[in-house]
Amino acid sequence: MGNVRSPVFFLIAAAVGAALFLVTRAIDNDYLFFAGYTVLQFIVLATAWNILGGYCGYVNFGSAAFFAVGAYSTVTLHKLGANPGRYFPDALVDVAQTVLPLNIPVLIVVAGIVAGLIGLGTGYLTLRLRGAFFAIATLALAVVLQTLIINWDFVGGSRGAYIIRPQDANLGFVNLPYIQWLFLLMILLSVIAVTVARMIERSRLGYGFATIRDDELAAEACGVPTLRLKLIATTISGALMGMAGAPFPYYIGYLEPSSAFGLAYAVNSIAMPMIGGTTLWVGPLIGALLLGIIQQIATVTISSAVNLLIVGLLLIGFVIMAPAGIVGLVREFLRATAPSRLDARAVTLLAIASYCFLIGLGGVVFGLAAAMSAGNAALAGLGIFALVLSLVYLACAYGLTKLEVWSTLLTTIALGVSIPLSFVFIWLDPRSPNVTVQVFCLVVDIATVWYLQRDDVKRLYRPLAERRVMS
Amino acid sequence: MDFPLELFINAIIAGLLLGGFYAAVTVGVSISFGILDIVNIAHPAFIILGSYIAYIVNQTFGLDPILTAFLVLPAFYALGASIYQVYHVSFEKRGQDALRGLAFFFGLLFVTEVMLLLVFGVDYRYVQAPYIDQTWKLGFADLPFRMLVPCVISLALLGALQLYLSRTFTGRAIMAVSQDQLALQLMAIDPIRIKRIAFAISIATAALAGAFLIVIQPVEPSVGREYIGRVFAICVLGGLQSLTGTVIAAILLGVVESLTATFYGPSWAPAVAFGFLLLTLAFRPAGLLGR
Repeated sequence: MGNVRSPVFFLIAAAVGAALFLVTRAIDNDYLFFAGYTVLQFIVLATAWNILGGYCGYVNFGSAAFFAVGAYSTVTLHKLGANPGRYFPDALVDVAQTVLPLNIPVLIVVAGIVAGLIGLGTGYLTLRLRGAFFAIATLALAVVLQTLIINWDFVGGSRGAYIIRPQDANLGFVNLPYIQWLFLLMILLSVIAVTVARMIERSRLGYGFATIRDDELAAEACGVPTLRLKLIATTISGALMGMAGAPFPYYIGYLEPSSAFGLAYAVNSIAMPMIGGTTLWVGPLIGALLLGIIQQIATVTISSAVNLLIVGLLLIGFVIMAPAGIVGLVREFLRATAPSRLDARAVTLLAIASYCFLIGLGGVVFGLAAAMSAGNAALAGLGIFALVLSLVYLACAYGLTKLEVWSTLLTTIALGVSIPLSFVFIWLDPRSPNVTVQVFCLVVDIATVWYLQRDDVKRLYRPLAERRVMS
Repeated sequence: MDFPLELFINAIIAGLLLGGFYAAVTVGVSISFGILDIVNIAHPAFIILGSYIAYIVNQTFGLDPILTAFLVLPAFYALGASIYQVYHVSFEKRGQDALRGLAFFFGLLFVTEVMLLLVFGVDYRYVQAPYIDQTWKLGFADLPFRMLVPCVISLALLGALQLYLSRTFTGRAIMAVSQDQLALQLMAIDPIRIKRIAFAISIATAALAGAFLIVIQPVEPSVGREYIGRVFAICVLGGLQSLTGTVIAAILLGVVESLTATFYGPSWAPAVAFGFLLLTLAFRPAGLLGR
């Protein structure tokens, strides 16, 4: 969908969102809604972060603060609405009673406005300075806001605030369980965030942002209104983050400062775009889906501390090895293999690389889980072996996309090792889901090993000097 | 209620002592961020790492935490040198130090914290040393040794560093690399080597600061986070490059924080540093002693 216009793109994205909602509803598992909500929330946060961080090159460490501002604006309005007679002068009680309590879509808009204003203020205070100072100032902002909230008794202070989630949401024509309603709203927010990001990317605004990222001084000298553009970016980015936070109190049910300002939000909203790729709207989307889902799996199987460790290590690995993220790797690969059109060979190799990457990541998660299960030496040993093999898989994925000479051999070896392993796993755990997965892997492994031996593939992975001579 | 003079004076003394300690915490960042322009936001994580090393050695061998820190200085120096090498090859050389370098250090901060969390859990850890529970009473002023010892050693350390930077050849080269890398190259000095040495020194100070920290207060892995703001607030307020400025800013912040904690309650204290930082950045980005 290279040249689709924004309204059409919005409709397509909305259709995808609607399909997602219907599929999740058809599966009808409450956990899926809770997990999906978190992943979608990360899509919004990552996309919002990327508008400032990826497009303008200004790192915001305070995503959690904007998120929390959204969440706490909901708490404030909720509390005001719960007992208007106590907080408003007599003349205003009637007005307050009719206006409050607000429904969630309105709360989201309010949160967006509040967080956007805070974004504007932060930008105004700090954007005259070099990039690093902005990053540190956002960090400072997060702590100042957290201290204010901790000391603000009205919203519960450090004790936190309870928000009772209603049973159902009555939308007029249909009664949805509340978690489904929240999930639906988050889908809508993600669609909006992604569309906005894509729109910015293709507009004059986006080009302005890119000039700031590439060389702010030169841009300013050419007459680009850098300060104004940066203020626009902080405002939009902050507003979207606040909007992502607004439904959070209803989702979590009990909001306390340390959960609203959790470091997980700050880290994830940086790591996801960085891993996905910062220059395109798909980057944060890919990163958020990938990391969000892995974290859901890791939280269930291991612990929430370990999933943050995985995110941190992935972030470090990607900024060192693949600075342009997944999107950058794929782009470079396509440019090198199929400059003019998308051919079957390039697509197949990309599919193989993504397969290796996903298996490798999954293996890391399960390897860590097994390795950390203290007390069972055999299981721990298996975990460590799985970890090593997964790292090899990750190296394969990297090598294959980078067209490294050694990668086909390494991949063949790694897959060759896994083929007998699949049989072992089937023997260890003969339940049907596991067998299905293992048989699938087996088929893919064998097909891949065969495919990598083809001549046209081998030609691609010759040393660079030979490749030049050929063409 | 009349003005509690004794409380006030004690708060100021506590603040002065705290400030001395803050100077040791900040000096590493003053070198890496102020002089080398490397935004090492992971510095507090290394400080906490230093605290935990002091804790382990203190628990198993009963060794004094500050002595331990001096013993592990070379290890931290080597750690710093290798981190700089990675940073240089992956970011500085490619000219991508701004965005990705920051993300790199953020990742380091995070990974270190989570590793400590996984190994040691969220319990507060503390150390034992003969001087920790003693207090030197001077009239109505209390000088607790657990504050006094770190403060004195920290100021001595800063003095030594200042001498090193201004008197020795390498030290002067470090100051020069921040001003003009090319000129340094023309003097036949490898600027990368000088930067590596400087960054390694900055990480080495974290070992000491970590030992001071665990002498002063019990430590758990996420304590480092509140130091990020303090460290950068002091560093910016002090005018980035000057160690004297760092000491003055550290003492100023220590006193203000101590007064805030005494008269408004400790829950407001973290905001002081960050408030300071925001105001400095907004109104006097060159720092107190800046030109």
